[in-house]
Amino acid sequence: MQYLIDGLITAIQLLLSGHPETYSAVAATLTVSSYAMLASLSIGIPLGFLLGYYDFPGKRAIRTLVDTCLAFPTVLIGLLVYAFISRRGPLGEFGLLFSLTAIAIGQTILALPVVIALTATAMESLDRQLRLTLLTLGARGRQLLWTSIWEARYGVLAATMNAYGRVLTEVGISMMVGGNIKWHTRTITTAIALETGKGEFAMGIALGLVLMSIAFLVNLALAVLRKRA
Amino acid sequence: MIYRIDKLIHRYGGQTVLRVEDLGIARGSLIGLVGPNGSGKSTLLRLLALLESPSEGVIQFNRAGDQESARQARFQVTLLNQEPYLLKRSVLENVTYGLRVRGETALLRVRAEQALRWVGLEPERFLQRRWYELSGGEAQRVALAARLVLQPRVLLLDEPIANVDGDSAQRIQEAVLRARRQWGTTLVISSHDWYWLFEVCDTVLHLVKGRLIGSGVENIVPGPWERRPDGFWSKRLDDGQEIVLLGAPHEGAVAVIGSDQVAVAPGAEAAAVVQPDTIPQVRLTGTLSRLSLERATGFVFATVVVANQIMFTAKVSPEQLGGAPLYPGRRVTVSFPSAGKWLA
Repeated sequence: MQYLIDGLITAIQLLLSGHPETYSAVAATLTVSSYAMLASLSIGIPLGFLLGYYDFPGKRAIRTLVDTCLAFPTVLIGLLVYAFISRRGPLGEFGLLFSLTAIAIGQTILALPVVIALTATAMESLDRQLRLTLLTLGARGRQLLWTSIWEARYGVLAATMNAYGRVLTEVGISMMVGGNIKWHTRTITTAIALETGKGEFAMGIALGLVLMSIAFLVNLALAVLRKRA
Repeated sequence: MIYRIDKLIHRYGGQTVLRVEDLGIARGSLIGLVGPNGSGKSTLLRLLALLESPSEGVIQFNRAGDQESARQARFQVTLLNQEPYLLKRSVLENVTYGLRVRGETALLRVRAEQALRWVGLEPERFLQRRWYELSGGEAQRVALAARLVLQPRVLLLDEPIANVDGDSAQRIQEAVLRARRQWGTTLVISSHDWYWLFEVCDTVLHLVKGRLIGSGVENIVPGPWERRPDGFWSKRLDDGQEIVLLGAPHEGAVAVIGSDQVAVAPGAEAAAVVQPDTIPQVRLTGTLSRLSLERATGFVFATVVVANQIMFTAKVSPEQLGGAPLYPGRRVTVSFPSAGKWLA
C-alpha cells in the first residue's frame, strides 16, 4: 500500500515541478483529442440530424450500422487506420503513420458513431410540433436545421461529452498508429500503460490524475454551458 | 379571393381525410371551421398554410401557381396550433423568432413588447421568462404573440382556445379580432366553441368526415341505425325516444340536418317546420340549453339537449323567438323532416 501513497506524493511533485515529459504527454493528448472532437462534431452533428430528423428508405439499416459502430473496439480502429496509412496502404504516400494526425484520424472514427447515434436520438425525441411550428413561422433549410439542433442542444451536449470521454481514454488507437514515441506521439494513456509496465507508478498516477482533471474540467465547462443555454 | 380551392382531395396512407370540391376565401374575411374531432379541420388548416400539398386538386394562394403560392405564403401566412410549441428559449426570443427568420433586426424588443400587450401579457413580467415558466394559457398567448408580431396577411388558428383558461380565451379572441381590424388579416379559425364563431365569423364552414357539409350549423346524428320493416331507419335514444329517418345508405351512416330545418316550440307541442306536410316529421322533447346570436343574420340559435345524449340546434328568427317563451332550462319539442341528408 505504501508504494501507492509514495507514488501519489511523487506524482503531485512531478506535476507541480512542471515535469517536461509529463506535460509533453498532456499536450499531445489535448491536441489530438481537440482535433478529433472538432472533426467528429462537424461531421457527426449534421449527419445525426439527417438520420434522426428525416424519414428515408434505408434509415433503419443505417441506424443499426451506426449503433453497431458504437461498440467498435479501439484496437480494430487502430488496425484499420494502420492498414490505410502504412507505407503499403492506399494513403501511405502521405507519411501519416506514427504521427499525431494519425491518432486524431483514428479517434475521429471512434467518436463519430457516438456523435451521430446520440444526436440522432436527440433529434428523434424532439417534439413533433417543432417542425410544424418553425415552418409556420417561415423557417426553411438552414434555419430549420440550426434551430432544431439548438432545441436538441442538451442531447447534443450529452453526445459531445460521451464522445469526448471515449476519445480521451482510449489507448489502442494511440498505441498502434501513434507508436507511443516520447516527446512526439506519447499521449497520457499510452504513457500510463508504458510507465506502469516499467514499474514507474508515480508517473502513471500523475498522468492518471491529469486525465481525470481534464475530464472533470471539460464536464464542468459543459455543465455550466448547459445551465446558461 | 385570397384562397381558391378546386377539387381538393387529401390522403394520409391511402385514406382520404379531406375532400373539398370548391371553396373560395375572400381577402380580409373571417371564416370559422366547426366539426367533430377527426373531421379534417386541422388538415384543412395545414393545407391552407401551404405546409403540405394536396394529394389531388389545387389550392391557390393570391392567384399564384403551386410553387409561387408556397413561396408567397411562407412569409404571409402563419398557423397557430392547438398545442403550441414554444422554443426552449426566453419569451422574447420566442416572440421575435419569426422576425429574425425574415431577416428583420430593427426594434425587436419594442415589437415583442407590443405583441405581448396585444395578448394581455405584461412585457415587464414576461419578456425574460423561460419557456418552462409559463402556464398553458400563457404559453398559448406567447405563441399567438409570436404570430401577431409578424402582422400576417392570413392567420390560421387551430382550436386556439380549446385548452386555455377563461381569461386567456378572452384575450386570444380579442387579439385575433384586433388583427383583422388593424391590418385586414384574413382569419380562419377552427373551434369547438361555435357559439363564439357564429358570433364573430362571416361564414362558418361545417366539416364532417372530411367533407364540407355546409356553411352553417348542421346537426349531426351518427349511427348505428336500424332498418324498420316500413323502410325507415331508426335510432333509439337512451330515454326511449326514437329518431326515424328515411334513406340511410347503411347502418353506420351519419345524418345531417340543417339548423334551418329544425323547429323548436315550448312544451310538448310540435312546432311548425318549413317542409311540406307530406314528409313525416320527427318530434323529440328535450331541454333548451342555450340561445346564441348569429351576428351576420340576427337569427338566434336555440340548442336543445335530448335524452342527455344528443344536441339539436334550431335557427330561430327574432320574430319567432318573440312569440314563444323560450329560455334555457325550459322543456321544448324539436321537430324536423324525416328526409335528411346523409354522409356515407
